[in-house]
Amino acid sequence: MFSGKQTKATFKSYLPPLQTDSKKSPQLPIKKLEAKLLPGEIVVNEANFVKKCISTESCQDGLWGKLVCTNFKVSFIPHNSLPLQRFQCTHRLLGEHDISLACVEQVVTVNDVKGKQKILGSNQKLKFNPTELVLYCKDFRIIRFRFDEAGPESAKKVCLAIAHYSHPADPQLLFGFEYVGKRYHGSTDETVNGVDPGGGLQTPLFDCSSDWDREIKRTGASEWRVCTINQGYFISPSLPEFFVVPVSLADQDLKQYACCFYSQRIPLWCWNHSSGSALVRMSNISDPLQQRKVEQRISSAIIKSHPLRSDVFKSDLDKNLPNIQDIQTALLKLRQICVIEPFEESEEKWLSSLDSSRWMEYVRTFLKHAVDVVYMLESRHVSVILLEKEDRDLSCVISCLVQLMCDPHCRSLHGFQGLIQKEWVMAGHRFLDRCNHLKKSDKEESPVFLLFLDCVWQLWNQYPAAFEFTEVYLTVLGDSMWVPVFSTFLFNCPRQRAEHSRDFASSKSIHLGQDQALRFPSVWDWSQQFSLKDQTLFNNPLYVGKIATCVQNGTVKTFTHRRSKKNYSSTVRGLPSAMRNGSLGPNDTLTRRNSLMLRLRSDLSQVREQQETPSERFIRDWFSRPVDLQALLLPQLLPSHLSVWKLYFLRWVPEAQIPQGGPITAFHKLSLLTDEIETLQSQLRQYNGAGCTPNNPHTEHSKMYFKVTSTPHQSPAPPEYLSSSFPFSPMGNLCRPGILGTPLSKFLNGAKIWLSTETLANETI
Amino acid sequence: MTFLLCLSVAVEEANPVMASAPIAPYNSSPLGNSSSQNASRESLKMEPLADVAVLPGEERVIDKEIIYICPFNSAVKGKVSITNYRLYFKNTDSETPVTLNVPLGVINRVEKMGGASSRGENSYGLEITCKDMRNLRFALKQEGHSRRDIFEILFKYAFPLSHGMQLFAFLSQEKYEENGWNVYEPLEEYRRQGLPNSEWRVTFINKNYELCDTYPTILVVPYKATDEDLRRVATFRSRCRIPVLSWFHKENHAVITRCSQPLVGMSGKRNKDDERYLDVIREANGTTKLTIYDARPNVNAVANKATGGGYEGDDAYQNAELVFLDIHNIHVMRESLKKLKDIVYPNVEESHWLSSLESTHWLEHIKLVLSGAIQVADKVSSGSSVMVHCSDGWDRTAQLTSLSMLMLDSYYRTLGGFQVLLEKEWIGFGHKFASRIGHGDKNHADQDRSPIFLQFIDCVWQMTKQFPTAFEFNERLLVVILDHLYSCRFGTFLYNCESARESNNVRVKTVSLWSLINSDTSLYINPFYTPESSRVLYPVASMRHLELWVTYYIRWNPRIQHQQQSPVEQRYKELLALRDQYLKKLEELQLSDSAPSSTHLTNSSTPNAATPNQHITHLQTPF
Repeated sequence: MFSGKQTKATFKSYLPPLQTDSKKSPQLPIKKLEAKLLPGEIVVNEANFVKKCISTESCQDGLWGKLVCTNFKVSFIPHNSLPLQRFQCTHRLLGEHDISLACVEQVVTVNDVKGKQKILGSNQKLKFNPTELVLYCKDFRIIRFRFDEAGPESAKKVCLAIAHYSHPADPQLLFGFEYVGKRYHGSTDETVNGVDPGGGLQTPLFDCSSDWDREIKRTGASEWRVCTINQGYFISPSLPEFFVVPVSLADQDLKQYACCFYSQRIPLWCWNHSSGSALVRMSNISDPLQQRKVEQRISSAIIKSHPLRSDVFKSDLDKNLPNIQDIQTALLKLRQICVIEPFEESEEKWLSSLDSSRWMEYVRTFLKHAVDVVYMLESRHVSVILLEKEDRDLSCVISCLVQLMCDPHCRSLHGFQGLIQKEWVMAGHRFLDRCNHLKKSDKEESPVFLLFLDCVWQLWNQYPAAFEFTEVYLTVLGDSMWVPVFSTFLFNCPRQRAEHSRDFASSKSIHLGQDQALRFPSVWDWSQQFSLKDQTLFNNPLYVGKIATCVQNGTVKTFTHRRSKKNYSSTVRGLPSAMRNGSLGPNDTLTRRNSLMLRLRSDLSQVREQQETPSERFIRDWFSRPVDLQALLLPQLLPSHLSVWKLYFLRWVPEAQIPQGGPITAFHKLSLLTDEIETLQSQLRQYNGAGCTPNNPHTEHSKMYFKVTSTPHQSPAPPEYLSSSFPFSPMGNLCRPGILGTPLSKFLNGAKIWLSTETLANETI
Repeated sequence: MTFLLCLSVAVEEANPVMASAPIAPYNSSPLGNSSSQNASRESLKMEPLADVAVLPGEERVIDKEIIYICPFNSAVKGKVSITNYRLYFKNTDSETPVTLNVPLGVINRVEKMGGASSRGENSYGLEITCKDMRNLRFALKQEGHSRRDIFEILFKYAFPLSHGMQLFAFLSQEKYEENGWNVYEPLEEYRRQGLPNSEWRVTFINKNYELCDTYPTILVVPYKATDEDLRRVATFRSRCRIPVLSWFHKENHAVITRCSQPLVGMSGKRNKDDERYLDVIREANGTTKLTIYDARPNVNAVANKATGGGYEGDDAYQNAELVFLDIHNIHVMRESLKKLKDIVYPNVEESHWLSSLESTHWLEHIKLVLSGAIQVADKVSSGSSVMVHCSDGWDRTAQLTSLSMLMLDSYYRTLGGFQVLLEKEWIGFGHKFASRIGHGDKNHADQDRSPIFLQFIDCVWQMTKQFPTAFEFNERLLVVILDHLYSCRFGTFLYNCESARESNNVRVKTVSLWSLINSDTSLYINPFYTPESSRVLYPVASMRHLELWVTYYIRWNPRIQHQQQSPVEQRYKELLALRDQYLKKLEELQLSDSAPSSTHLTNSSTPNAATPNQHITHLQTPF
């Protein structure tokens, strides 16, 4: 069905085209193996004649090549490009066999003759010559190298180098600094190395007051203003320079209150509901004497900013949600059962193991809590304060989820990216610590952001047509945390970024020109990592806003405010009389809060309340109506309706791969249709608009990864390279020590179970 | 009010049980509007039953004031009507409509709840256990034996066979454009497979059900085996269910054959004819070793020796290889589903859901059935012939052969082919639907009942989830099949075997489910379907991928949105409509300014504009 020409045009990102004809190149060994280096990247150590284990039936011997450690990555350059290994990876910073050092979680060296094994840290000694190196990665990969034919000394050295360089002692040793710094050195042209954090991007970074102004306007938060007292980070070390506060609070007051809050974090405005209710995040008040007074002043300011003068509801996140250590423990257990435990052996207890990891439970708890907050905003029309001790972890998740559910703008690509900018990067989520880039303190490490992505995925999975992006996008976004060049994920807060990049520039005498500090690329500049073609994998062919966008000639549909009286009257109906005047009595708040907590508790203790609570009724009412994808979305919260994010967690597991199957096959078909529609649209435009920019490159560029190319006498079958792991491939990415390469055929009786010689050798350990 | 009427009628037409979610608002769907003209036509013709149109042949038996104890909404006052086909409830106490529309065939058990002197509100009434994962409770006024008549009527009409009455399928007067009884012609299906040929022949030895009363009349057997051989083999196979061909691989000529267990017994009997017969099957395509898949766990097979059964021993069958597939028996499956119901109805077990799900073992059983079928399919596609049996060869055997055929043969993944598959492997080869479902029978505790067919449909659903483009039919078809498995509105799933169906004249006296389906196939078409003729589908039979079919098992919960269609499917259809709209517009534009526009377009250098005509023509062709 596919012509040769098409094979060439097929997917190139992570997977090779299956039918390649590269067998005719046996004279390869002469070729010099060189690692591809980025600006600022240097080779630290290398070893030749290393074998990379590949867990697939067809290449039993693995891949021979050179193992290189640089200051950025562990790179493997294979000698023979076996047909199946001929990846044409277009990840622009990392090759097919590369692992960034920041992605390496654990470096394990093994000597299977002596039966020894050691986990290597920074600056350690190794008393045996390793025969094997296993790299456990943060993105759930497990990569194995064998040194049977390599020189024992060089093998040892490269292992030690990898261990050392994957434990940088200082943030400025993270590769991003060299990378960005080098680009200032090399070029004198104006674009400064193509790093363009804001320009060309439609994503607001919220690092200037105009982005906040626009957000205030967009959400109709007229009683809120941008506050600039933290310019130069003089007030709070962890707050951004610009943030939003109630109009009624003067800078003077804020300065006075700041000292009462944890880390001087003045409460931050996140978002306004169309009813005028605000979502605010706040850290604990550290001074108990001042607590009552300050709390009251803040609350009354928020009430004043509400058009109905509605009350404020405080949602205590620390009390109701798992803490960061819980989340970290859950992920470790999840990883254990997903990739470390032998596949077949863990099948029988898969569900209960999954249960005991508690990951799914936490996902559900966060979603549920967000729904409770949505209920307060949407149905009770009160403003909500998210209260967390430091206001830098759980609040990020909840505030984002609330906005994703309420505000369709956040479900567009740029809306979503702006949301992460606003609620994570600018609000000071400690990415450096939570990612544990410096591998200093395991206590601080926690996959809060991944948990958030999983929650988003659940929403996406339940309402796939409501989001502009795909699950590939969410997965790749999660992976980008481990590419240490993006300002997005490198720092604990904007101030830290500013300081480090200033210091680094001065220590390396980099002339910054007009810039205040080094300009790190933002992860939102996706061209840093992927070609335009590969970026089309992010575009969801189902997205409803999309068609409208195309027809309206590129104008993004924005969040519309429904402020009509009619709207209010229809929703205010069920409120207690006190609320209608906008003054909710203190008792009322108390009962609400208790009942919320009671519900969470009863949920855990399996006490079923006969009486339906108002928030339950709110949820049930919502579910009884047809879904409007451009309005409020509530997730189905029954545990039976939440799923494991298979693309993220199981993509490397060869046994779990569905060849030529999985949701991607339907996605492929959808993409073709959407592509066809786009083509028709552009043709129609040419008819209508006669001479109106027929050469506009944007209209020519399809947004779809899969395009209608073949003669469509019949709709084409999904390409053979598609699998449930697409666009990722388990091949060579998951080699569990000891049970290397349990192929899919284990399920198939009679098919030979392949065991490589080295597996047999390993079993004696 | 009018809208509601139309809605319920319209949905009724499409799918009576599916639509009968406990609370009407959840039924609201675009579908209701689209077929509303249909509905008004129907309602003119028929006597309205409260708000729902009765089927032709349906008669009302009793109306009664009653309280429905909704597990989600507490007590709802209303009126119940019982016909010879269904129980219909509609509330009278509030504006938000609450309706129940339950075919009586779905009822497993009717019990009295509380006595005339019971205390407490709504403690006196009826409890109805259904076969489709729900229970219904009704309360009545305690004075004057108010439930006696309704209980008796319900008991009688829900279990007509226990009361010397006929199943509704025999009373129905429904007419459809299509005659579903014609979907399966055995000879035609065998011809499609390339049979008979030089290796395999069609035999009519069973035309009067003399060889085997639970087999169909037309059988395909090895060319070299004479009818006399077959008779001798029958003596050594449980219930005379001899090995016969189910499926033939056109390229490598490997076959799937099915049968029952050999009558080995405690003494380890042997039968030369049976042994030779199996060898003939093996030789037909030169398979070196015939693989015999015994669906049972090894111990069960051994235990069967005590009752005269057993398995093919190594000594006796030297050219065969025996593999046990560890699938448990009907009793284990029944208990497993019971446990599943406990955790999903009325409420979903919220704490430790996954562990609770695991403890039902339902998905584990699904996994074993699927991986057994994968092994069969893999063997056959590698060129080796196989034989599948369990004890009697009508439960697990049917699951394995039909699933492996679904993997091997893309024809069975079409809407029509799937009907053929069910007619052939399940209905034709005597899956005991009457005993397993207990149609019209009051004996709810019958040990013969078991959700084997449901389990098979669940396996099919799992496959459609893993390969969303490989099946021509959608989830809705599977749900409708299961609903009518119980409803007794159609003759398709009645009786235990073909001979019983024939003697009861089912094809003449009842309507086939496929008549309903094939009269409006658009409802059951998977828009993502991409035909691929030669592809073997291997689902991944791993707990990582097997999911609970929530849209079937948890569909009665009003807190769950009831979508008639998956959102993705729906969206795809919308996009298709949009595409067609654009095509039309473009065509109009091209017609209106054909000559000048073409020059204009060739002038502009964009690739798309250069070839608009080509695009249009070939874009139109596939549809």
